[in-house]
Amino acid sequence: MNEILHVSSQFDEDLSRLRTHVLQMGGLVENQVSAVIDAYASGDPAGVGQILETDRKINALEKTIDDDCAQIIARRQPTASDLRLVFGVTKIVTDLERAGDEAKKIAKGVRRLHAEGVDQRRFAVGVRHIAEAALSMTRQALDAFARLDAPLALSVIRADDAVDIEFKAVLRQLITHMMEDPRTITQALEVMTIARAIERIGDHAKNVSELVVYIAEGRDIRHAKSPMINEHNGGEQ
Amino acid sequence: MPVESAVQNQTPEISIRNLNFYYGKAIALKNINLDIYKGKVTAFIGPSGCGKSTLLRTINRMYDLYPGQYAEGELIVAGKNILDKNVDTIDLRAKVGMVFQKPTPFPMSIYENIAFGVRMHEKLTRNEMDDRVEWALTKAALWNEVKDKLNKPGTGLSGGQQQRLCIARGVAVKPQVLLLDEPTSALDPISTMRIEDLIHELKREFTIAIVTHNMQQAARVSDYTAYMYLGELIEFGKTDELFIKPQDKRTEDYITGRVG
Amino acid sequence: MNLKLRRKLTNVVALGLSLAAMAFGLFWLIWILWMVFEQGIGALSFDLLVHDTPAPGNVGGLRNAIFGSVIMVGLAMLIATPVAILAGIYLAEYGRRTLLGRVTRFVNDILLSAPSIVIGLFVYAIYVSQVGKFSGLSGAVALALLVIPVVVRTTEDMLVLVPNTLREAAFALGAPKWKVIIMVTLRSAKTGVITGILLALARISGETAPLLFTALSNQFWSTDLSEPMANLPVTIFKYAMSPFADWQQLAWAGVFIITMGVLFLNILARVVFRQQSANH
Repeated sequence: MNEILHVSSQFDEDLSRLRTHVLQMGGLVENQVSAVIDAYASGDPAGVGQILETDRKINALEKTIDDDCAQIIARRQPTASDLRLVFGVTKIVTDLERAGDEAKKIAKGVRRLHAEGVDQRRFAVGVRHIAEAALSMTRQALDAFARLDAPLALSVIRADDAVDIEFKAVLRQLITHMMEDPRTITQALEVMTIARAIERIGDHAKNVSELVVYIAEGRDIRHAKSPMINEHNGGEQ
Repeated sequence: MPVESAVQNQTPEISIRNLNFYYGKAIALKNINLDIYKGKVTAFIGPSGCGKSTLLRTINRMYDLYPGQYAEGELIVAGKNILDKNVDTIDLRAKVGMVFQKPTPFPMSIYENIAFGVRMHEKLTRNEMDDRVEWALTKAALWNEVKDKLNKPGTGLSGGQQQRLCIARGVAVKPQVLLLDEPTSALDPISTMRIEDLIHELKREFTIAIVTHNMQQAARVSDYTAYMYLGELIEFGKTDELFIKPQDKRTEDYITGRVG
Repeated sequence: MNLKLRRKLTNVVALGLSLAAMAFGLFWLIWILWMVFEQGIGALSFDLLVHDTPAPGNVGGLRNAIFGSVIMVGLAMLIATPVAILAGIYLAEYGRRTLLGRVTRFVNDILLSAPSIVIGLFVYAIYVSQVGKFSGLSGAVALALLVIPVVVRTTEDMLVLVPNTLREAAFALGAPKWKVIIMVTLRSAKTGVITGILLALARISGETAPLLFTALSNQFWSTDLSEPMANLPVTIFKYAMSPFADWQQLAWAGVFIITMGVLFLNILARVVFRQQSANH
C-alpha cells in the first residue's frame, strides 16, 4: 500500500474508514464461519439464533460499505491504487456477504439435523476438515486485504485447489453412505448441502484474494491459468 | 525510459528525441523522448512548472517570440526537424495549430476571426472562404449558435463560445496537429464538457496534444498520457493503463493526490 | 476596545483629510469654470465668428484667431500622430527591451515633461530665425513637437496592456509580425490610442508659449502658412493684457471657447475610453 498521505486528509480518512468497515465485516463473517463449524462439530443448535442475528449485521455493513464506495467515487474520483481499492472493495463485500449467507445456510442445516435427531458426525468426517481449511482461507484472505499482501493472497488461491479436491472426496463418501443405506438419503443430502456451502465459503475467500492481488498490484488474475498466478512480479505499492 | 517500446502499432505524427529546452541558462526540459501518435489525443499532466506547457510551446516554436529561449535535440514533424534554424515557422504553424488557456478572440467579427488565419496560408474566393468559415465553426460545434451573427464582434460571445471560436480558428487552417494549452481552465463545467466532447470529435481528423491541470480531464479525453515532473518525462503510456496501474511510483503519487 | 476606538478615529481623520484635499481642488476648479462662464457667456455673439480681430474701439470678432488655431492644431496633429504612433509601436512591439528602445523611452519622457516655452524657443532657433519670419507652419511644428511625446507614451502604454496571449494566438495561426501588430495588437489598443490623441489635442489647444515664438499672431485674415498666423491663445494673451474694455471682452469670449473645446475633448476621450472598457 502507498504509505504516503494524500494532500487531502479528508480523503485519507474516507479510505481508512472504508478499510475499517471492510475488516469489520470480514471479522463478522470469519466469526460466523467459526461459529457454524463449532455448531456442526457439536451438533448443538444453541448458537444458531446468534448466527442469524449476526448475518443481519453483515448485510447492514455491506450496504454501508457500498455507500462509502459510491461516496468516494462521486466526491474524490479515485485513481490508480485508490481506484483499485474502491473498485476491489465493492466486489469483496459481495463475496463476504455471500460467504455470510453460506454460513447462515449451514446454521439452518445444523438446526434441521438436530430437530430430526440425527448425529451428523456419523457422516463424512472430511466435512470437519474442509471447514477448518475454509475458515483458515477466509482468515488469511482478510489478513491479505488488511496488509494488501499479494503473496499471502496467492497462497490462499492455491489452498482453494486442495479444498476442492477434499470436497470431492466428501461427496464420494456421502454417495457411498446413501447407496449402502437408502434410509439415510435425506440426512446425507442435508450434510451434502452443508459441505457444498463450506466449499463455497472457500471459493469466496479465493475471490477475495484475487481482488487483493488486483488492488495491490493491478493484475487481474481471475480465471487465469495457474502459471500466471504463481508469477509474482512484486508490485511497487 | 524506453519510450518506443511503450506503445506499438501507432504512427507517430510527432517524434521527440533527446529534447532539451532552456530559458536562458535555466534548463526547463531534460532529455525528452516521446512520440505523439496520429489521430490520437495525448495529454500532458504534471505539477505547475514541470515543463508540460513548455514542451507544447516547443512543438510550434512559440518560444521564438522570446529572446533567450532555445531548444536542442530533435522534434520531427512531417519528416523534418522543426528545431532547425531555417525552418519556416509560418509554414510550421499552418501545420501545428494552438489554442490557449484564456479565450483570445481577436478584436474583429466572428467571421474575420476565422478568416484571419486562413488568409495567411491560402488564397480563397469569397465563396470558398464562406464555406471554410462555416466548416470550421461546424467542426467546433459553434455554427448553430453564431450563424446569424457572423458580423458581430467575437468578443461579444460567452467564455465557452469564445474558446470554441478559438478552436474553430485553429481548425480553419486545416492543421495536422492541434495543441491545446489548458483549454478549459478558464471555463465553467458545462463549457468544459462541451470542449471535451469536441476534442473527442476532432481527433478523427487531427492529432491532438493537450496540457491540463485537471487529471480527470486527461483521463476523460486522452488516449495517451504523459506525466512530467521537474522538466523530465516520468511516464508515458496508454491512458487506460496509466490511471489504473501507473508503472512509476511518482506518477502514482501524483495522480492519487499524495504529497511526494 | 482601545485599539478598536483608535482604528475608528484614524479612519475618521484620514477620511476627513482626504475630503478636505478634494474640496480644496474642486473649489478652485469650480471657481475658474464659474468665472469663465460668467464672463464668457456675456461676451459671446455671432460677430465672433464673422469678424476678424478689430482695432480698439471697433466692432470685431475672433474669426481669424479661431481659424488659425484650428488650422495649426489640425496640421500639428497630422504631422505628429503618424510619427508618434509608429514610435509607440516600435517601443512596445520591437524595442521593448533593446538599448535603442530604452534610450528612446527615456528621451521621450524628458520631452513629455519639457516646458512648452522651451519647445517654442527651440523651433524659433532652428526654423523661425533661419527663415527670418514668424509663420503658421512653424507654429504647427512647435505644437506637433508637444503632441509627439504624449501620443508615443499613450500608444506604447496601450499596446503593452494588450495581453501577450492575444499576440501569441495570432502568431500561432502563422501570422507574420507586422500583420499581428496591425490586425490584432493595434486594433485591440485602438480606443486607448485614440484617447491619447484626443488628450494631446486638448493639451495643445490652449498652448500659448510655443506659439509666441513661432506663429506669433496676425491682426488680419490670413490662410498663408508661411505668414504669421492668428490664434486664440496668443490673441487672448494680447487682448487680456490690453487696457481696452472691448478687447478684454473678446479675450473672455476666447477663453470661453477654448475652455469649452478642451472640456468637450476631455469628455469625448472619456466616452471613447469607456466604450473600450465596456467591450472587455
